[in-house]
Amino acid sequence: MNKEELIAKLKPIIAPYIQDEESFKNLTEDTDFVNDLKINSANLVDIILDIEDAFDIRLENEDMEQMLDVKSAMNIVTQKLQG
Amino acid sequence: MVGNDIVDIALAQQQSNWKRPRYLDKIFTQKEQDLILQSDLPEIKLWQLWSMKEAAYKLYTQINPCRFFNPKAFECTFSNGAEVTYDTFTCAVKTETTSNYIMSEARLKQDEMLSSVIEFEASSVSTQSEFLKDCLLSEVAHYFQTDRKQLNFVKQAYGIPTIEYNDKMINVSLAHHGQYGTIAFSR
Repeated sequence: MNKEELIAKLKPIIAPYIQDEESFKNLTEDTDFVNDLKINSANLVDIILDIEDAFDIRLENEDMEQMLDVKSAMNIVTQKLQG
Repeated sequence: MVGNDIVDIALAQQQSNWKRPRYLDKIFTQKEQDLILQSDLPEIKLWQLWSMKEAAYKLYTQINPCRFFNPKAFECTFSNGAEVTYDTFTCAVKTETTSNYIMSEARLKQDEMLSSVIEFEASSVSTQSEFLKDCLLSEVAHYFQTDRKQLNFVKQAYGIPTIEYNDKMINVSLAHHGQYGTIAFSR
């Protein structure tokens, strides 16, 4: 899966939890879940669970630690898929 | 220093399905999960523990500037009053629960609560956060008996909020969720 495909797969997972439409429209690797998309921190857990389900992977607490932006989410998913 | 957090109970019920598989296990230690599930009001207990963790995280990152997401590593304990422990860090936490919101405040030592709670009229998140910042600046100006123009709201590294006043840096904490916000500053 290349970067564009990965972002395309992540976008609908993130969509239900965003509170800033404008940032979501312009989503890039550098988009921050909390600062840009204004996602409630309790919903970060939902995103993590949704990612686990969508990619059939399991994320440990250490993996979650940096899951605060699109780039980190992509890195962790890529690692797990290769793992 | 002070860290705080607030949960709008009605909104949390809408936004989060805590009964989904693995949800509790991602956020709470086994002991915390037992506390939640044995409680008469499991959902209220859950958001109480969550807000305690968030408040403690905000206090911790004021002392050790950094940014991460690991709520499970911040463990709530109640044997010595309400406390949250993360690694070697421990803080005292007070919680105010009403039928509408749950607000927690973390301090290094047990102390009187500094946080005030604000109910929003506007519904846009960005308007709310501006309003909240405004209320905080007013409170700080009033406390120091100065003009608001002398105060600068500055986000330090890792987004940690502060107010600069003369050559002082005042630690502050703000949180908002749904119709409620909370603000506090060190004094």
